[in-house]
Amino acid sequence: MTANVLILCAAGMLVTAYLMVGQKALFTAIRLFGVQSLFLGIVATTIAFSESRPELLVTAALTVLLKTILIPWFLMRVIDRIGIHREIEPFLNVPASLLVCVGLTVVGYRVSTGFPEGTRGVSHHLIGVALSMLLIGLFLMVTRKKAITQILALLTVENAVFLVAVGVTSGMPFVVELGISFDVILAVLILGILVHRIVDRFESMDVSRLSKLKG
Amino acid sequence: MHQALVAAGVVLQTAGLLAAAPLLKVAIKKMKARLQNRQGPPWAQGYFDLAKLLRKEPVRSDVASWVYVAGPRVYFAAAVAATTLVPVVVAAAPLEAAGGILLLVGTLALGRFALATAAIDTGSPFGGMGASRDMTIAALAEPALMLGLFTSALAAGSLNLGVLVRELVAHGPSFHPSDLLAFAGLFIIVIAETGRIPVDNPATHLELTMIHEAMVLEYAGPDLALVEWGAAVKELMYLTLLADLFVPIGIATTLSPVALAVGVVAWAAKIAVLAIAVTVVESANAKLRLFRVPELVSVSLGLVFLALAIRFL
Repeated sequence: MTANVLILCAAGMLVTAYLMVGQKALFTAIRLFGVQSLFLGIVATTIAFSESRPELLVTAALTVLLKTILIPWFLMRVIDRIGIHREIEPFLNVPASLLVCVGLTVVGYRVSTGFPEGTRGVSHHLIGVALSMLLIGLFLMVTRKKAITQILALLTVENAVFLVAVGVTSGMPFVVELGISFDVILAVLILGILVHRIVDRFESMDVSRLSKLKG
Repeated sequence: MHQALVAAGVVLQTAGLLAAAPLLKVAIKKMKARLQNRQGPPWAQGYFDLAKLLRKEPVRSDVASWVYVAGPRVYFAAAVAATTLVPVVVAAAPLEAAGGILLLVGTLALGRFALATAAIDTGSPFGGMGASRDMTIAALAEPALMLGLFTSALAAGSLNLGVLVRELVAHGPSFHPSDLLAFAGLFIIVIAETGRIPVDNPATHLELTMIHEAMVLEYAGPDLALVEWGAAVKELMYLTLLADLFVPIGIATTLSPVALAVGVVAWAAKIAVLAIAVTVVESANAKLRLFRVPELVSVSLGLVFLALAIRFL
């Protein structure tokens, strides 16, 4: 039962990552990230109960509170303020990006079998999904031009790392987890301000314009 | 004895699906209306519409050939034939000896082909435009549908839907990540194939956006009734397929009355849940621009391809 819930939630995270790649509306992408974090919260809660590690409940609560509610709310507010709702044409079009992501997922899954824990069972899928999401996140960061999408990509990578940390290792010390959560908020806040500055300066969220030295 | 059983199964299942299909359409319309604070049509509206259309005399263009007349009939027949390959209440399809997934996809393609050629037949620009749009989407959706079905077939080791469902019931769901990926991909395909909102809007006849409606714009009377009824049966069949492959709970494995009753209730409940999901998707999304539709379908193609690939890793 526990294994099934874990696998389904991990697969759900992968599906949301995929939909994010196929998505140009920023609001939907942010909501998808919220759903992805909710799945992560469920993973943490499930493990907390099945392996009786109550400290993971705090992690789950923090994840849901920050990444499902607070960060999406903040990012939506940023978008509302700026008034830019859609991703401009990315460097690679959607079908091509999806193909690349399928390839990346296969690579991620294949690599996961190289870990001693990753040959079979739940941890195989958890590591596979996490590595795939990590690669997809990096890919999104490289190919998208909007600063907001890049923040979402960074957060996806963060979720992927968290999935491995929670699901496969015996967990991080509580202080470290608090520190990471705090780090994530700060990063998003700073990036939000940065987005404002970019839009002020260039009247667009297109980060490819940053390479122009003269405005 | 066995042949009598097959015949009874075919008749009962087909009749049941034909009877339930208009109800599903109205149910989705009604739920959508409720979400918009409207009352929606009465529950029997689907039957009233069909009765009204069937009573009218068919009006056909002077230049229309037999292709135009055959179109709706083949489409309807293909939709009904496809349902006999899908297990609904019992964990066996009535005509499963005839074929499995490939026959199902092929039959549906035959119906689509008949309707598209019929739409071009009169030479009106609307029909041709609708047909070309429908085919554009179908060309992408069909491989995705096949790959999605293959993912489940791979788990059960059979392309036959009856055997597949029996395997699933015997071993329980496999709980592999590819199940969820395939489900997400197939759900998008179902939305695209049944002409629901992010892809097509079933409620309007706005010339710039319509796909399916443009194709059948010229039909009237009994011809139109066949097209609409066929489309409704197809929609119900797709939802049943999703329920069969991913939540095979409650499906009857014996022919005892209790098992059958449980099967009917479980099937109705699963269809209701899926209908709610379709309604929510329809209400929460805006229709995509036509040239963005291939992007959406390619997302589902990516998902099902990945689902298939992960099975081997």
